[in-house]
Amino acid sequence: MKPLLSKTTKPFLIFVLIVLIISIPVYYFMVDTIWQDELDEHNEIVAEKTSYEFNRMKISDEEIQRNISLWNQIQPGTNIIKLPYNNLKKDLIFTTEKYKPFSADKKIERYRCLKKVIYIKNEPYLFTIETNIEETQGTIMIIGIITLLFFILIVTGLFILNRRLSKTIWKPFRNTLDRLKNFNLNTQTHIEFENTDTTEFEELNQSLRKLIAHNVSVYKTQKEFTENASHELQTPLAILKNKLDLLMQNADLTEKQYNIAEDMNKALSRSARINQNLLLLAKIENSQFDQSEIINFDELVRQSIENLQEHLDQKNITLQINALQNTTVNGNTSLTEILINNLLLNAIRHTAGNGSISISLNNAVFSVANSGVQKLNEDLLFKRFSKLSTSNSGSGLGLAIIKEISKSQKWDVQYNFVDNNHVFSVKL
Amino acid sequence: MKILIIEDEVELAKSIAEYLSEENYLCEFASTFSEAMGKIEVFQYDCILLDITLPDGNGLKILEELKKEQKQDGVIIISAKNALDDKIKGLQIGADDYLTKPFHLSELAARIYSVIRRKQFSNTNVVTQNELQIDLLAKTVSVSNEIIALTKKEFDLLVYFIGNKNRVISKSTLAEHLSGDFADMLENHDFVYAHVKNLKKKLYDAGCDHYLKTVYGTGYKWESL
Repeated sequence: MKPLLSKTTKPFLIFVLIVLIISIPVYYFMVDTIWQDELDEHNEIVAEKTSYEFNRMKISDEEIQRNISLWNQIQPGTNIIKLPYNNLKKDLIFTTEKYKPFSADKKIERYRCLKKVIYIKNEPYLFTIETNIEETQGTIMIIGIITLLFFILIVTGLFILNRRLSKTIWKPFRNTLDRLKNFNLNTQTHIEFENTDTTEFEELNQSLRKLIAHNVSVYKTQKEFTENASHELQTPLAILKNKLDLLMQNADLTEKQYNIAEDMNKALSRSARINQNLLLLAKIENSQFDQSEIINFDELVRQSIENLQEHLDQKNITLQINALQNTTVNGNTSLTEILINNLLLNAIRHTAGNGSISISLNNAVFSVANSGVQKLNEDLLFKRFSKLSTSNSGSGLGLAIIKEISKSQKWDVQYNFVDNNHVFSVKL
Repeated sequence: MKILIIEDEVELAKSIAEYLSEENYLCEFASTFSEAMGKIEVFQYDCILLDITLPDGNGLKILEELKKEQKQDGVIIISAKNALDDKIKGLQIGADDYLTKPFHLSELAARIYSVIRRKQFSNTNVVTQNELQIDLLAKTVSVSNEIIALTKKEFDLLVYFIGNKNRVISKSTLAEHLSGDFADMLENHDFVYAHVKNLKKKLYDAGCDHYLKTVYGTGYKWESL
């Protein structure tokens, strides 16, 4: 994962590099051509000026010959040779490379040459001129160095610009991102994005505002629906229950009919319980519980054990209390009671007769362990209605409620299978 | 004994009245807030069953009015809302009991019985049936003036039966009464059988007649003339 700016910078820099590399031969070609043209022009001027100056001098032919030989000796780079006739129809222009004639170090120099026939006193002479021109590698090296400097300038400039831009231009984006990270659909905290003058970010903020507002309202409706539906179901369930109570008082009832009514009664109690649990879940999710009460956790555990003692006795389950430290926590008392009861009842229900349950409350960790055979599927365990046992009692919501209560009180509930024991632990 | 049922669900009110009429209770109905206010102003009841979610007002207001007028009617709130706040508030204002829908009629009858007894016999609240005497205030039971030791649950069961004389009470109903919220989470209701058996034995051993009968194999009935 790389930041967006460095992602765009890299191809941009590669492109700049390619352009600059291409520019090196182009610059060289341009500079060299201009230089050669200028030198050619210079050579031509020198040749013409020489012939003109010779012709202007009112001296004899002999003297001219002497002057020309003197010229050839002292004038560097030029040479005048008498021709019997003009055998050069066209001027010769070329580049040659040779060692410096009068220097000790053996360095190849490049020269631009012109061979031209000039006429002095109407006699043809071959005029040769050589002018030093910068070597190819020299030119390329200088252009290359300058290009490299520019490239370094662009890279450092971009680097500095990027850092400043990411600080200023991307600031609204970062703000939005931070707000989103802290947003929780469940707690329904209001989310407010800062206004920005960047079109794209403002568009993003607006879309997010719309999306969140929509989601919040859908979520609310859905939760309200669960709560309302459960609430509405209470009345018909109550009517059914009461009618069954009346039916059971009927003197004409046979034992068979009574048993049917009793089975209906049990099923009805279960549906009432499922309904109540759904309502409880909806209420927890809607944060309808005061979470600021001070709870003596160990006291609630003791109460719960007392209430459930007869059910332990009945299944002949040994209850082992490993530790029960004085523990005071913040939370909701009735929710905590439900959590403890559900954990213990769950253990009682799923422990075979003559089995054992051990509980401990130590260093703010409450754990309930009961003997078992096989590790349970953790993914399904805390899901609503995903009953892992074949027993048909229970609402299928017990562990979901434990999970939801823990979440609402910011506790952490975990399941482990250790030494043939199912261990549920709640970190307070 | 006069009872006012303030309940907007007609079927529910009818069932309650039918069950209670067997006990020689005289039931009157009020299905709206205004109707209820009108009735409590004029008449006096032994017990008022109050649904707090009424179409035209909050039932708690009725309760407040009763207390303001210093009426002695017993009040049991019956609510579809299992909201702890409502329960605490209701009891604070002065309701005698609180019951969440759905409930068993036998449960309601037992509560009404207790409320009325408490209101009317505030000093010596003793129920007598031949040789059996139950002191609801001291929570003691004696047979032929001999006190017998009952556990909390056994005493609770006995009062429940007394409040539902000659009625068939099923095992699952008793289970719900005894273990409250988690009865249906338990695989079997044998613990009810254990408690009832102990109660029967203790009463019989002390020389009490067999008032508590088993009916239809799994149901119970307290017989009394």
